[in-house]
Amino acid sequence: MAESRPEPRRWFRHGQLIQFIPLLSAGIVLIVLPVFLPSHLQIVMTKFLIFALFAISFDLIFGYAGLLSLGHAAYFGAGGYTVAVLMLRYDINSFWIGVLLGLFSAALVAALFGLIVLRVSGLYFLLLTFALGQLLYSVAWNWKWLNSPGMQGIAGLSFPDLGFLPVSWNNLNFYYFVLLFFALSYFILRKITNSPFGHALVGIREGEARMQSLGYHTWLYKYLAFVIAGTFAGLAGIFFAYHNRMIAPGHFGVTTSFLPMAMAIIGGSGTLFGPVIGAAMIVFVEYFASIVTPDRWPLILGSIFVLSIMYVRDGIGVYLSRLGKKVSYLWGKH
Amino acid sequence: MLKKVRGAYLVEAILLNLLNGISYGMVLFLIASGMSIVMGIMGITNLAHGALYMVGAYVGWTIAVQYDLSFWLAALLGGLGAGLVGFLIERGFLRHLYKQPNEQVLLTFGFVYVLTNLCIWVWGGRFRTQFTDPALAGFVNFAGLSYPAARVEIILIGLVLAAGLWWLQEKTRIGAIVRAGMDDKEMTMGLGINLERVAMLVFFLASFIAGFAGVIGAQLLGVNSMMGTDMLLLALIVIIVGGVGSIQGALFGGILIGVVDALGKAFFPGLAMFTMYLAMIIILLVKPSGLMGREL
Repeated sequence: MAESRPEPRRWFRHGQLIQFIPLLSAGIVLIVLPVFLPSHLQIVMTKFLIFALFAISFDLIFGYAGLLSLGHAAYFGAGGYTVAVLMLRYDINSFWIGVLLGLFSAALVAALFGLIVLRVSGLYFLLLTFALGQLLYSVAWNWKWLNSPGMQGIAGLSFPDLGFLPVSWNNLNFYYFVLLFFALSYFILRKITNSPFGHALVGIREGEARMQSLGYHTWLYKYLAFVIAGTFAGLAGIFFAYHNRMIAPGHFGVTTSFLPMAMAIIGGSGTLFGPVIGAAMIVFVEYFASIVTPDRWPLILGSIFVLSIMYVRDGIGVYLSRLGKKVSYLWGKH
Repeated sequence: MLKKVRGAYLVEAILLNLLNGISYGMVLFLIASGMSIVMGIMGITNLAHGALYMVGAYVGWTIAVQYDLSFWLAALLGGLGAGLVGFLIERGFLRHLYKQPNEQVLLTFGFVYVLTNLCIWVWGGRFRTQFTDPALAGFVNFAGLSYPAARVEIILIGLVLAAGLWWLQEKTRIGAIVRAGMDDKEMTMGLGINLERVAMLVFFLASFIAGFAGVIGAQLLGVNSMMGTDMLLLALIVIIVGGVGSIQGALFGGILIGVVDALGKAFFPGLAMFTMYLAMIIILLVKPSGLMGREL
């Protein structure tokens, strides 16, 4: 019986102290550590943040609303291509214009695609989102205006211009710049998922018919979640374009769409920190594998997918948090 | 006079491109049919289906080109090789993931990476050119048109296989069990039917067809290590257009997409792929479940 257990001391039971340990260690890793890292690892850290943002945006519709999309890169690419086109075609380097228009175009694409894909559910939803992402891929491939001369994609991007804040960019301060936006996005998405709106999304995932009979306009909830997720994916795409210095049609395609899904599932979907853990896993394993055995990296990545699906079904992030809870419980017993 | 000649030339060009589209569409049908059946009947989204095609194509290349053996033996062994790999994936992994579409998608895409990388490891990353049976290397003359024999053979194989699969699904006991399992799994099992064995068989058959398609399709497309994803995309497009779980749908969708692609490439060369995706989107907007799909 749970009641007969010895009560842990009060401040441990509420976990007021222990709950700061993950937060504190995350803070140390994200804020302090990068200063001491060599420049190329700061780039990897930036990439991790960008993909973590991409993955949590995906998890809003996948983990919370239960919609499996195979076309989430459409909004990622829309954001990235917007800032790339602004730089290539109009010489507009301003971050603020880029981020505004980039978010707008990502939201616009998501709003448009949402109207189409939310007519169906399940397997057909998967197929439709896939199809629309591939449509943008083929547009980006064929339309000369969206390509630098002599190649597929837009290359030669640079770090953006902050206008009133003259910054001389290096890899470290760009990292902190991304971190700022990542933390802000995480905070907003946390607010969203903890709000009644977020709970309604989980309700839709668990039983849409039940939510409908409770009077919820479920389509509208899913549509809003879809557009919000697309907008945050667009933000990730904007930073990715600056970070990667180039953007290619493939960043609209299914191989890019697949990454946030893999990160969310591996890390633990239906949470926000799970996809972040998943993104860390994939980005850092990719980095180290590409040093040790670049040719076999896809084999390792594929094996990680297979093994994590077979043996860590709920996701590594969720597993770690359970472990943390167990530790804090045992700690509290003393 | 000149106009007449150009008119005749145009008709011939359209006709040739139409035939090219149909033969390419037959390859698309071959690859999409197995995937569509597995998706519709077993509810498994097997994204590794394109990779199975590639495995079959590489095995076939080894038999037919490296060892210079019969092309038909290559097609058979390519099918068996892919069938074996598919069988292992189903028995070892997918069997535990029934009714878990998210996990299936991630797992099978993981196998795309694994199989692609293994193929590069074994066969190298080089592009292998088209190969065929020496007897089919020539041309067939028909009503003033001369057309590659291999393409005619592909069209015939596609039609025969479509008829065979349709017969298997609609007219045989296995097909009846499969359709019953699709409609009501518990009830079918309650009747004492070992659905697991049927599922195993269906998955093996679908993988076999994918590998077989790889060797047959290599007559047009050659073999390369990007095929795992390229063919997956094409198969998904065909399934979307034709509808999930329908042989007729896969055949119709394959031919439609093949023809749209061939005509698009011939008359709007700047729009490679785009015509195909556009056709798919239009069909989806009109009929979200595909032209001949079952309502899921």
